Amino acid sequence: MSAFGQVRLVAGREMSTRVRDKGFIVSSVVIVLLVVGLMVFQLVSGSQTQTSTIGVVGGSPQVEQALVRSGESVGVEVEVTELADEAAARQAVEDGAADAALLGATGDGPQVVVQDSSDDGASAIAESAVGALSVAQQLGEQGVDLQPAPAIDFVVLDPRADGDDTAVVVALLGVVVLYGLLILFGQFVAQGVVEEKSSRVVEILLSTMRPWQLLTGKIVGLGLLGLAQLITIAVIGVVGALALDVVSVPSAVIPTVVSVVAWFVLGYTFYAAVFAVAASLVSRQEDLGSVLTPTTLLLVVGFIVSIQAAQDPGSTLATVTSFVPGLSPLVMPVRMAAGEAAGWEIATAVLVDLAAIAVVVRIGGRVYSGALLRTSGKTKLREALAAERG
Amino acid sequence: MLEFDGLVKTYGDNRVLDGVGFTVTPGQMFGFCGSNGAGKTTTMRIAMGLARADAGQVRWQGTPLTEVTRRRIGYMPEERGLYPKMKVAEQLVYFARLHGLAAAEATRAAEHWTERLGLADERDQRVEKLSLGNQQRVQLAAALVSRPDVLILDEPFSGLDPVGVDSLADALLEQCRRGVPVVFSSHQLDLVERLCDAVGILARGRIVASGTVSELRAAEAGRQLRVVVPDAPTGWAGAVPGVRVVSEQRGDTVLELAPGTDDQAVLAVALGTGRVAHFAWREPTLVELFREAVSDRAVAA
Repeated sequence: MSAFGQVRLVAGREMSTRVRDKGFIVSSVVIVLLVVGLMVFQLVSGSQTQTSTIGVVGGSPQVEQALVRSGESVGVEVEVTELADEAAARQAVEDGAADAALLGATGDGPQVVVQDSSDDGASAIAESAVGALSVAQQLGEQGVDLQPAPAIDFVVLDPRADGDDTAVVVALLGVVVLYGLLILFGQFVAQGVVEEKSSRVVEILLSTMRPWQLLTGKIVGLGLLGLAQLITIAVIGVVGALALDVVSVPSAVIPTVVSVVAWFVLGYTFYAAVFAVAASLVSRQEDLGSVLTPTTLLLVVGFIVSIQAAQDPGSTLATVTSFVPGLSPLVMPVRMAAGEAAGWEIATAVLVDLAAIAVVVRIGGRVYSGALLRTSGKTKLREALAAERG
Repeated sequence: MLEFDGLVKTYGDNRVLDGVGFTVTPGQMFGFCGSNGAGKTTTMRIAMGLARADAGQVRWQGTPLTEVTRRRIGYMPEERGLYPKMKVAEQLVYFARLHGLAAAEATRAAEHWTERLGLADERDQRVEKLSLGNQQRVQLAAALVSRPDVLILDEPFSGLDPVGVDSLADALLEQCRRGVPVVFSSHQLDLVERLCDAVGILARGRIVASGTVSELRAAEAGRQLRVVVPDAPTGWAGAVPGVRVVSEQRGDTVLELAPGTDDQAVLAVALGTGRVAHFAWREPTLVELFREAVSDRAVAA
């Protein structure tokens, strides 16, 4: 069987055992629920318009219509309730049953009752309604028939500006998911390495393949699973957001989502290799934390910088870190979404990341081979490099 | 033919192997004995590519073992190794496939060996849920499931009950009949003596004795004669030329005869003392051969 045959077998085992793992299933469901929940929340909070109740004494359909119209013009939904007299109107406002009460709308001395002068929303609506009624009435008396104003066609000079904002938000959400998946799958890789070491099954495995085949199979298998999960989330997110009208500019969303997915591939490969190599130094799950901490910290730093970059994508910090391997997968998607990253910058960041991955895999592969068969206690990095299947 | 040739391995200042060499022919069961720390496990790990020899090589059919030819070897490491959370059958299929079997073939082989080793009801159990004895059986199945051309087993009998020992012994003998060379290490010398066609005794990094058990017996320096003469006085044999008394207890005497000494002369003297209840060459057990081989070198070194 070819060298890739072994890699494929290892990758296949990683995927089939992980897919049935409770931890994986639970985390997948939680992430999907979070994405769906986020959209539903957006939808509900976005569609929630302000409402205002205005009581009317001696009103007419015209008065009611005028109130609703003038509410619409300021984005407030107006509900009109008919009230008997001034006393009832005062009572309603006092009880909070109405935000304002309008008396004698079409008469000579219209009056607006409000609880206190700070509540000028409802009173303003009432005021403009009275004004409109009065104008309509006077024009009607002069015999002028009113035509509705023509619909306005808006010309936006910078159509990207709105899209950019959406794209940055989408990129930031993407980075949150990416960060979570990097941590999750990095952990999976590390746990898998230690499991094989602590159960000594690694001896049987390495009698049939080389360490690099085991390492590659593990990273590829879990990586494909992570990628599948990310793409599922992305598809649910994009389709849901567009279908539910949470986002109105698809051209701003799709390229950003694609770039997040692409950066996941680079980021995952880097972190998975580092996590696997670090994990190969210990023989017990309990010792895993101490060797993973430095790498996890790097991830956290990348995450924090990317949030900062979303607020100020042109900052020096964001620019510099978007080239640093390990940080770039989290920062660059945000800068790209903000339209701050030039083509050559993206290309450079990708190349730097690929170079870093090559170095990690090369040196890491040696450490991994050297440390894998030392099943007692913790192996020092230098020992592992020197040993290499000693 | 599986040849171990001049293996040398040093860890720091400690020379663990110092030119270990022996040959196992197809269908031969080779017992690998030695004290703790003698280097048995290191020798096997070198064969499996898990440790690198400083010098020497292991050859199968004339060519040094490689990554690919090692896949045709069934191996059982001293520190047992299985995925604790994987189901028995799945695990065996995986190992069979890593050793180069196609999917369908691997599934059949896993079914066959679980049946054969009495694990048919445990196929869908996770390994961590099994008793230690059953885990040991799974380990053995993992070594056999790929229909290997060679078997290298490190202490396969340790931790097995007598029934388990018998079923393992049967399985190994069957492999030998298939023409598979089998190498296994063991501390249970009676078992080695019973099962093995050939034995190698390892001490201080070298093979100090190897060959069939009878060859080892024949090579044993000095020849011992056990004579039981109940009525003889103490020291009855002391006067016979070329005879050294090894032990004597109420007429039960063990004598060592120098080369060229006539055993019939000893018999004549024994008959002279009265009744002779027992007169026979004494076959040293493997345990005695082992002690002898190990201590000889200790003196020489």
